[in-house]
Order: sequence, then C-alpha cells, then structure tokens
Amino acid sequence: MSETSGVMEHVTCLGCGCACDDIAVAVRDGYIVEARHACPLGAAWFGDGRVPAEARMDGAPCTMDAALDAAAATLTSARRALVYLALDISCETQRAAVAIADVLQGCVDGVSSSTVAGGILAAQRRGRVGATLGEIRNRADCIVFWGTDPATRYPRYTSRYAPDPAGLFVPNGRRGRVVVAVDIGASRGPADADTRLAIAADVELDVIAALRATLAGHSAAGGARDPRAAELARVLAAAHYAVIVYDAEPGAAQPASPLGRSEALTALGQQLNATIRAAITPLRGGGNRLGAEAVLAWQTGFPMTVDFSRGYPRYRPDDNAPDLVRSGAVDAVLVIGAAPAGDGALPAGDARRIVIGPRASSALPAPHIAIDTGVAGIHESGLAFRMDDIPLALRAPLPGPPVAADVVRSLGARVRAQRTAHA
Amino acid sequence: MTDRLRIVGGAVYDPANDVDGDVRDICIQDGRIVASLNDDAPRLDARGMVVMPGGIDIHAHVASSSVNHGRRLLSDEHTADPAPAPPQLDGEPRSGTGGTIPSTFTTAYRYAGLGYTTVFDAAVAAASARDTHAQFDDTPIIDAGFYVLMGNDAYLLQQIAAGERDRARDYAAWLLGASGAYAIKIVNPAGVEMWKRNVRTVNGIDDTAGFANVAPRAIMETLADAANALALPHPVHIHCNNLGVAGNVATTLDSMRALSGRRAHFTHLQFHSYAGGNGKPWMSGAKELIAYVNTHSEMTADVGQVMFGPATTVTADGAVEYLLHASSGRRWVNVDTELETGCGIVPYEYRDSAAVAALQWVVGLELFLLSTDPWRVVLSTDHPNGGTFTSYPELIRLLMDRAYRDDRLKSVNQKLLANTALADGITREYSLREIAIITRAGPARQLGLTNKGHLGAGADADITIYARDANAATMFSTPRYVLKGGTLVVEEGQLRRTPAAHRLHVRPPFDDVMTHDLARWFERYGTVDFANFPTAPLRDAPVPTGARG
Repeated sequence: MSETSGVMEHVTCLGCGCACDDIAVAVRDGYIVEARHACPLGAAWFGDGRVPAEARMDGAPCTMDAALDAAAATLTSARRALVYLALDISCETQRAAVAIADVLQGCVDGVSSSTVAGGILAAQRRGRVGATLGEIRNRADCIVFWGTDPATRYPRYTSRYAPDPAGLFVPNGRRGRVVVAVDIGASRGPADADTRLAIAADVELDVIAALRATLAGHSAAGGARDPRAAELARVLAAAHYAVIVYDAEPGAAQPASPLGRSEALTALGQQLNATIRAAITPLRGGGNRLGAEAVLAWQTGFPMTVDFSRGYPRYRPDDNAPDLVRSGAVDAVLVIGAAPAGDGALPAGDARRIVIGPRASSALPAPHIAIDTGVAGIHESGLAFRMDDIPLALRAPLPGPPVAADVVRSLGARVRAQRTAHA
Repeated sequence: MTDRLRIVGGAVYDPANDVDGDVRDICIQDGRIVASLNDDAPRLDARGMVVMPGGIDIHAHVASSSVNHGRRLLSDEHTADPAPAPPQLDGEPRSGTGGTIPSTFTTAYRYAGLGYTTVFDAAVAAASARDTHAQFDDTPIIDAGFYVLMGNDAYLLQQIAAGERDRARDYAAWLLGASGAYAIKIVNPAGVEMWKRNVRTVNGIDDTAGFANVAPRAIMETLADAANALALPHPVHIHCNNLGVAGNVATTLDSMRALSGRRAHFTHLQFHSYAGGNGKPWMSGAKELIAYVNTHSEMTADVGQVMFGPATTVTADGAVEYLLHASSGRRWVNVDTELETGCGIVPYEYRDSAAVAALQWVVGLELFLLSTDPWRVVLSTDHPNGGTFTSYPELIRLLMDRAYRDDRLKSVNQKLLANTALADGITREYSLREIAIITRAGPARQLGLTNKGHLGAGADADITIYARDANAATMFSTPRYVLKGGTLVVEEGQLRRTPAAHRLHVRPPFDDVMTHDLARWFERYGTVDFANFPTAPLRDAPVPTGARG
C-alpha cells in the first residue's frame, strides 16, 4: 500500500483481548475507511486513524525537545515518581517505560492492578490451570461460560475461538461441544447454551465449594447436595477437555466479581485435572494490558505494582497506581499510553502529570506536559500479547505521530543524563 | 569494546586446541582472538590465574513464556532476593530480582558474574517465540538462542502419521526459521499431546496410545533425521518419555537405541536414569545408562544434576508437573499451548534429608564420574529444574574434590543409596581441563559453535579468568575478569559493562510446496494468521547450516 491509500492485510486489533489478527484495513487519503472483519468494538478502536501529533506544555504547543527536557526535569526533581503503563502501547514502549521507573527509583504499575489484582494474587498463591485459545478451539468439548456472554465485550470470541469453529478434535464445532451458561445474578451466560444454571451472586463461592465437594465424592458441608453443583459436576465429569470461561475484566457494565472467584475456580480446575483435562480461562480486555504484566514480570519479577524506591523492585499489591495518585504518595506521574475509560483510570490528584501516548494532548485532566504518539497497532508496529499470553505482531497501516517507544527511550536518555548530572 | 588487549601470563585451559594449563598470552583484537599483537597493545595481567573460554550453558530455561509464567508465580522468591543495579556498572544498570527464576537483566548479570557468556533456552513454543526474543532483548551480555518444541506439534505428528517424512523435515526447517530458533527440541515425544488428551502414561517408545501410527519412536527418528539432513549445527535435543519416574532408565535406553547410529543429544540424563519401579524401590540406573553412552560416539548428552536447595520445575512436560503437584500439594501452573506443546510449573526444593532427592543427586554425580568422554557428557542442572545456574560452582567442586564429595555424601539420606556406584566409592576427580570441556569446549562442539568454546585465532573473545583457589566453588563463583566479545564485562570481580548480546539462530532451506499445505492447516486450526506467525527477521545473521555431509 502507498502511504496514503491501499489495503493492509493481517492487521492485529487491540480493541479487546481477543487480538484478532485478520483485519484488512483499508486506507484512503491517509484515513482508515474500513476495518474489514473487525467487530463493532474493533471498528471503533481503529476509527478513522486520525490522532493529534502535538507536544504541549501547560496547555500551549511546544517542541518535542522542550517537552522532553521539561518532562525529564519534572521526573528527576520529583520526590517520588509513578510510571503508569496505560493502554495501546507496544511491549517495546513498555520496556523503555519500566527502565525509566528503575532509574528514577519510582513506582511502576499497569492497568491490571485495578482490574485483576485479586486474580493475580490468587495465581501467586495457587497457580493456574490455563489453556491458550487455540487449545480451547481445538480440544474443548465442554465450555462453561461462568457469568459471562462473550458476545457483548469480546464479540468475535465465539466465532474465532469457541464454541463455534470446528477444531482438530472437535470436527463438528458447536455441535460437538456442550455449552453451559452459568448465570450469576444479573450476569448471564450465552442465550443459546445447551444447559443453563442460575446462581444468586451472594452464593457463588458456596456453589463452587459444593461443586468441588461433589466432584471429590463428598457431600457439601451441612450434608445437603446442592442440585446445581450436582448437575454441573455431572456435565464436567463427562467431558474430555472442559474449559471454564469467565470475564476477568467485566468493566463498569457488570457487577464486580467476588474477590475469591478466580482462586475458587482455579482450585476447582486443579481438582478437575485429577480425572479429566480442564482449564480455567479469564477473558481480558484490550490495549496490550497483558504485555504490561509480561514486561513487568520479566524486568522486575512482579507483574504489577512495583516500587523501586530502595533501588530494587519491591512488590506493593496494596498500593496500585490510582491509590498512589489519590493518596498523594507520588508527586509526579508519567502516563505512557492511552488512559483506560473505566477501572484503572487515574484520579486527578495533585501530582504533576506527564502523558506520552495516543491523544495525550487531549487527555483529561489536562496534563502539564503532553506528547502525542501513535496508537500501537494502527500507527506503530511492535509486540503485544493476546488475552491468553500469546505474543502477536502489530502492524501499522497508517503513518503517524512520533513512535511511542522512540519518545520514551529519548525521555529515558534525558532522565539518565539529568540523574548523572545531579549525582 | 577494547580494540586490542593482551592477556598476559595466565595458565590457559583451551582443550579444543590441546592447551592444558600452559602459560601463554591470549591476544584480542576487535572482539576476536588473534594470533599475535604488537608489543604496544594494552595488557591485562593474568599471572597466576586460570584462563578459559567463556562458559556455555547448553540447557537452561531463562526466557520462554513458561519461564515468565514462573516469574509471575514466584513473587515471594523475588521479594526475598532483591538485586539492586550493580553499583559500578557503566551504561544503563538495571535492578531486578533473583530467586530460582531471576528477572532478565539479573539473569544476565549473574550468568556473566559466573563467567558464562552463552546460554540456550531449551524449550520454546513456536507460538511464543516472539515472547522469548523480547525477553532476550532485555538479557544483555550473554549470547543466546533457543530450541523450538516440536515433539508434540499436531501438524508434525500428522505428517508423521501420514508417512510424509519429507514434509515433516520441511516443516521442521520452516519452523526453525519462522521462530528464529537454533535447534529442534523434543519433550516427552507424544506424551504431552497424550496428556492433553487425558492419557497420562506413555508405556514405552512404541506406545501409540490411540494415535494413528505415531509412537515416540517415530517422532524421535523423524526429527533426528530432519536435523541431520538439514545439517543443523546442533542435532535434535531430546527430553525422553517418563521423566522422573522410577524405572525410566529402560525407556531412556530404548530411546537411545532407537536412534543408534544417528547424531542426537539426550538432555538432563539424570532425570531419566532411575531403575526400580513397579513396586520396587527407586534405584540408580546411572551405571547402565552411562555405559551405553560411553560406547556410542554418535550421541551427546548433558547431565541435569540435582543440587540441594530451592528449585523451580518448569517444563513443557505438563503431565510430569501434574504428578508433582498431586504428590507434593505445591502450587501448580499448567498452560496447554496452541496444538504445539504444554507448560507446567511447580516450585520445589531438593532436601538432602529426602530419600529420592538424595538418590537423584547421586545419580547425577555417577553420570559425571562414570562418563569416559567429557566432550559428550556436559554440565547442566536443567536450570532451574534441578537447581539454579548459580549452583554450578558448587557442582564443579563436587566433581573436582573427592574428599569434599565423600564428606557431603555421608550427610544425605542413605535410604536408597545402597549399592550405588557412588556409595561404593568413586575416586575420580575432574581436572581443570575436564571442567573446561564440560562447561565450554564440549557444549560448543555439541552445539556446532565454531567461534566459541575455544581460544584459537578467530574465536569470539569470550574469556573468563579465575584466581586459583583451593576451594573450586569459590574459584568458579567469583571470576576476576570476564570478557564478552572483547568487552571487559567483569573487572576485579565487579560487573562493569553490559554490551548487547547476539542471537544465535538458524534458517535452513526447505521446499516451499509444504507451506501451501501448512497455510491450509493454519486456516483450519490456527488462531494466528499464517502471515503473522513468523517472527520478524533478526538483527544477527543466522548461523550457517549445511556444513555437515
């Protein structure tokens, strides 16, 4: 394709955690006119590809150099700085951003601490029972949608991964699978499920406990068998490869899941694997939030809420980024990427705020320093992770503003230079 | 990088060039070793010290998606082992955390601090190759490559079942290049796929367990032949069936016999050398196994020693980890991966008071001490499975110091050690030359790395200089100087520089016709677009293939 018109195939969409990589993006006169194969969420995520390309200081346009110098000065003179890995940035950008937190002896966090901290901590206590989307597609003969219908927030999950497509060991696709909807309070499973169970939200964990007891051959505490647990146990025990899918990031539209859900389901999954094969798989949102967890884990040893104030990474799961801003524990905040709309949005706070990322110049509240970059996957290539931790290539159908990774590396060099000058 | 440097007066151990402790100078120019330099070249005084090539780890787990799942799991270990940025480091020092699976920068710093300059990650799913490359990008100093998992790849198994061995070879070649890998890895051939189908036991290498015509034997034969036909620098790298099971030595020997006459590498032998089983107590099978290895010059191996202390078992062999979880009650990660492989993780500790751990420790030492060819049986702990790479100096001491070893042996659980060769007494002590072989020259030869593992003219200037010490563990844990590609990375025992490292990978040719069939497979069963599967071209040129006939 030319710079301004043409079609780019095999483009990866970060509109949700499905990270569909079959999008054909049509560009005309420098704008996206179609994102073929994309769902409505994806089409909205690509939009027309128009993004601002400015650098601003205290609301007024300035040069990139001036903005970077001022940002480095703000960060190096801060008592305590927070680097926040927001959305729509590549792993290359995340890597460079964590390096800045390290040199500043500041804090660094991503969106996951606001949305799935309970699940991350549960996985550290107990482990996980996972399967990538390809395994679900090709093996799962029983899929339990646990209080979620992926159609609304993960529109192509059903058609790309499961239960609809045929798989290597499920040649008849949807007809070859048992689909169970577990409705939990108002959070309902898919309408076309083969079996449906309803659980009141306040007894969800009790039902999981009863299910585990039933599978282990015990009656539930108190002696009475829960009929829903008995039915679910029967369906699961008959499966060869059962997958329980839940929405780990249901957003503001759904009631928050109980804190123990992820751990209870993991325990259930580990128990199921004594007799059948089973996996517990969370649905995750878009924008490469899994990339932030992965990069933080490999650079620091922790997937979220890292504090470098003692010169090495410490794990502070009780102090996530919004808490640090709200409490005034940090006096400078470097946001890298696009702010999340719901959970993970940073409160206003008193800290000086620098935003480097897509549409930074129009971020709210208005940052003290803003540098617009491209959107990873639209204007920038690089690496991102799907909801199941599979790494994917990002393509860039449009040219755009400065590349975020370059801007962040440039800021990092200035921060190091200023630190050295002060030392 | 130092343009020129003369390392003066050290006792040089360069077994590949038959140099055995001779005092001589080593000359370096532009990152490589040269025959001579003018007298005005800068000098590094190594008088009284020992000079060896940089260490090469042929089998470790340092940068895979599985390793990163382990990092996410082990927050407690990381909290307990903070690793501040090295204070004297030029450039961009990074902090991190240690434990059994350190963060990437800390992994690099600690390897370099031991005098290691090249490391291979032994198990990477092709679908996650990009993850590994990105982690390597944050692992400076040490040159790195990985082995791509094929022994349970559904497309490959289908080709074998259909008798399409040429297509299987072309696929193997394509997958190596597409993922940027260095060698072909087999983990528990067919056994991981069986685990995913809920068949948990592989009854020997001819067990098809419901597969159409695909038993472990056919997988091993096909991939060994593919690697050899493609003349890869490293042959097929095999983790046999039935890892960690009493009596598994029979399966291991069957696997070796199946590939008799073919070039092949059998990894972490220790975990595959147990006799007993079937109701009988665990016993060492090391003597029987190493006798076979000693007489078959076509094969190579690494030991996979168990070291007492904390470890994390992390493997593509998911079935094994379920058993470990079920028997130990420890936390457990399992991730079945994209019709390619598995991933299992259980943090673990080998206690010298535990009977089986003590036997495992003895089995590994027996393999080392009864091996007659250090070039073919080299050092590993299967980091972090049998112990971490930071335990290598202690392992070297066990091999070099009989009195220390015998003493240590007395303090471990004796329950299963009766009649083991080690308990009966083995007098052998490794020499410095032999240590240089099992940690440098041997791995380099096994890996086909012609520019590494030796100090002859043309070799990469990857060099470690040790101060002699009566305690070999002290000597090998604190090198005085380490050079990587001519850059002095460790000076006076301090990490000083972290040059970027190179990626070691191959890109063998294949018949393009295979890709038409493969593209259809991706359309039918894949979740990543065929066009998006191959990694972007790597900055470093591939290591040549085809050099062997």
